[in-house]
Amino acid sequence: MTKLVIQRNDNTSSWYDTFHIKEKKGMTVLDALFHIQEKVDGSLCFRYSCRGAVCGSCAMLINRVPRLACKTQISTIKKEIINESNSNDVLLKNKEMDEFKEEILIEPLPLPNSNIIKDLVVDLEPFFDLVYSIKPWIDEGRHDNTDPNTLIEPAMHEKIDQFTNCILCSLCHSICPAFKHDEQYMGPATLAKAWRYYLDPRNDQESKNGLLNTINTENGVWGCDVVYKCVGICPKKVPPTKGILNLRDVIKK
Amino acid sequence: MIQHDIIIIGGGLSGLRAALEAQRSGKSVAIISKVYPIRSHSGAAQGGINAAIGSDDSWEKHAFDTIKGSDYLADQDAVQVLCKDAPDTINELDTLGCNFSRDSNGNLAQRPFGGAAYPRTCYAGDRTGHNILHTLYEQVMRYGIKIYSEWLVTKLVIEDGQCVGCIAMNLLDSELEIFQSKVTIMATGGYGRIYARSTNALINTGFGISLAYHAGAELKDMEFVQFHPTTLWDTNILITEGARGEGGYLLNSENKRFMEKYAKDSMELAPRDIVARAIQQEINEGHGFEGDYVYLDLTHLGKDVINKKLPGIREISRNFADIDPIENPIPVQPGQHYSMGGICCDVNGKTKVPGLYAVGECACISVHGANRLGGNSLLETVVFGKRAGIDAAKFVDENTFSPTEQKLVEVLNDVKNDIQDIMDMDIDSSGSGSGSSSSNNESFAHLKDEVRSLMQEHVGIFRNEKGLKVALSKILELKEKSIRLNVVNMSKQYNLELVNTIELKGMIDLAHVITLSALSRTESRGSHYRTDHNKRDDNEWLKHTLVTKDEHGAPTIDYKNAVILDVMPETREY
Repeated sequence: MTKLVIQRNDNTSSWYDTFHIKEKKGMTVLDALFHIQEKVDGSLCFRYSCRGAVCGSCAMLINRVPRLACKTQISTIKKEIINESNSNDVLLKNKEMDEFKEEILIEPLPLPNSNIIKDLVVDLEPFFDLVYSIKPWIDEGRHDNTDPNTLIEPAMHEKIDQFTNCILCSLCHSICPAFKHDEQYMGPATLAKAWRYYLDPRNDQESKNGLLNTINTENGVWGCDVVYKCVGICPKKVPPTKGILNLRDVIKK
Repeated sequence: MIQHDIIIIGGGLSGLRAALEAQRSGKSVAIISKVYPIRSHSGAAQGGINAAIGSDDSWEKHAFDTIKGSDYLADQDAVQVLCKDAPDTINELDTLGCNFSRDSNGNLAQRPFGGAAYPRTCYAGDRTGHNILHTLYEQVMRYGIKIYSEWLVTKLVIEDGQCVGCIAMNLLDSELEIFQSKVTIMATGGYGRIYARSTNALINTGFGISLAYHAGAELKDMEFVQFHPTTLWDTNILITEGARGEGGYLLNSENKRFMEKYAKDSMELAPRDIVARAIQQEINEGHGFEGDYVYLDLTHLGKDVINKKLPGIREISRNFADIDPIENPIPVQPGQHYSMGGICCDVNGKTKVPGLYAVGECACISVHGANRLGGNSLLETVVFGKRAGIDAAKFVDENTFSPTEQKLVEVLNDVKNDIQDIMDMDIDSSGSGSGSSSSNNESFAHLKDEVRSLMQEHVGIFRNEKGLKVALSKILELKEKSIRLNVVNMSKQYNLELVNTIELKGMIDLAHVITLSALSRTESRGSHYRTDHNKRDDNEWLKHTLVTKDEHGAPTIDYKNAVILDVMPETREY
């Protein structure tokens, strides 16, 4: 049996419920949550969609680490707890962990400027608003400079590709330490998208300049602490810090 | 009451594309989606999108392959629209910033796909759907289109035969709201989750299709359910056809490339219906591995090809099967993947209900007939999404019907009562209060598992009269039971148990229509394979199945001939 300790939230209060489930081979945390919701407690709330780590819905804190529940196997977590003392993963170093040994602790993702709606469901509107506030898109037709079939070197495609892989799961947003000293910080996901559209040869220069102006601020690229937490946590291997440093270089020139 | 000219239900590729076009026409447009649009299942599409842009290729060749792949049930006029519009559609997406993969000269790259005589599948690595979804969503944000995220539409409102809006529930607080519109566009995707093994996202219940069915629309060719040959063993996560397009082999337990027995020329790149049946037959005859799977071997492709062209497949294999395809073959089995059938509509998305449109996987424009070719579904979403958006705007201008508020309120009250019924515990069995449902009540989880295993067992890759009749009678039992569906969770916020329960009723209705359609079609064509009628019968069955709900609420079947232009049906060999 595996013990899951899940933080529950409603309008007025917050508490922890404990569930015991029989672990099956290959069982993910998302599988376990469904098992609880369908067989034990129908009131348990969490977001889900693809169950294959491509949609970004099921972001949550699992043993205090922000991760996608669908991609996280119960057996892996258990090993992690046992090996905690020799783990290189700084994220796992947390004194409070001790009281939850042998258990899997599941909590909603802590996001800056955001409220918990219910159980593991967090309000994502502030996050999405930030991402789209920098206008990450191509103003097609505005200058009539967008030639169909723009030639793009495969090397450029690959550069952009690193950043288009972002699924906006908000894991990086939740782990970024820069929010501690600036609540208005744009965050890694937003700035990664800015770099993606700055790079894109289909984008016109005026839009690129506008993009640079928007992020050339203390709560933009200059707010980053360059500690690479976002790069380490990204489930799709997007390197936001790299994008941020590139943007800084462009601005300095 | 919320009012918009055009309301689009669903925020995947079809819905977003339709919304953009409708918005460009100056209409008031809104999208209602039960998830944030970027969480839609379109984002899981991997391999690519077809367009005849190669110098030796042509839209006619694309059309021919599509029609042959459809086992000649596709409407050829619709296929022509799809294939002619394809190159412009790709250019448009490219212009909007979709990060398609490139050849060494910087032009759009194309890869071979099943059933295609030419490598005409454009792709963005093996994350094509993801790339198009985000590109289109960014454009939708650019235009400031209103989005109601995490709202479930529970009923379409029909007044004097015309669709005048819908009732939707805000998942945040379970409050119901009236949405009045001149046009409603269904873009709600497929129903994969009525099968036990499906590649589909967990949200793909087909509920939108059932809404249209209850609103009086026809459901067309619902017996044609595509099983993808290669889904990851057990989790059934999609392993793209692109893996075979790049040269992957299928191997049985004797280490043989068994496809030579089934499609000696095309081998692994025969169309999906043929490859899926071949794999299932190998498994059934004892040539699979313990646990019902075969191997998809990519090891000979080498690290570079896998990392460059199939990085997502490597990631999925490692994360969900603990296998690195660079070193070891991937265990795969067929799984439900796509619904060729759906809400019957024309090439502009119009259904027979005025004011109601459908587009994408939930629709049946008959471009895929009895079997869809890989790379044609993403194409369908954008080509017909655009057309539906344009036509919907026209309909808004031409439509003179003025709906009454009374009808909308009446339907709102109906929905309220339905939900009240689900929330109220049975009086005879009250007392438990919490925990599992009492004996007279049914929980969604139990019935859902039943319908899924039933469909998988009897309405799957191989079908016959006996099994289909068993399925039909059990589905009727499930329908009876579903009247007593009841939730234990009384919470107003994010009541997923309530959402699942509402949707389950729609899933059972679809299961009924699919099974009935499959039982009636006494031939084998494309994905519909009857072991008791294992030949295609063009004399009798070159026609579409149409199911509507009669006045007693029961499904009735009618037929309509397929549109044949210049491609004459012949034996399908690969």
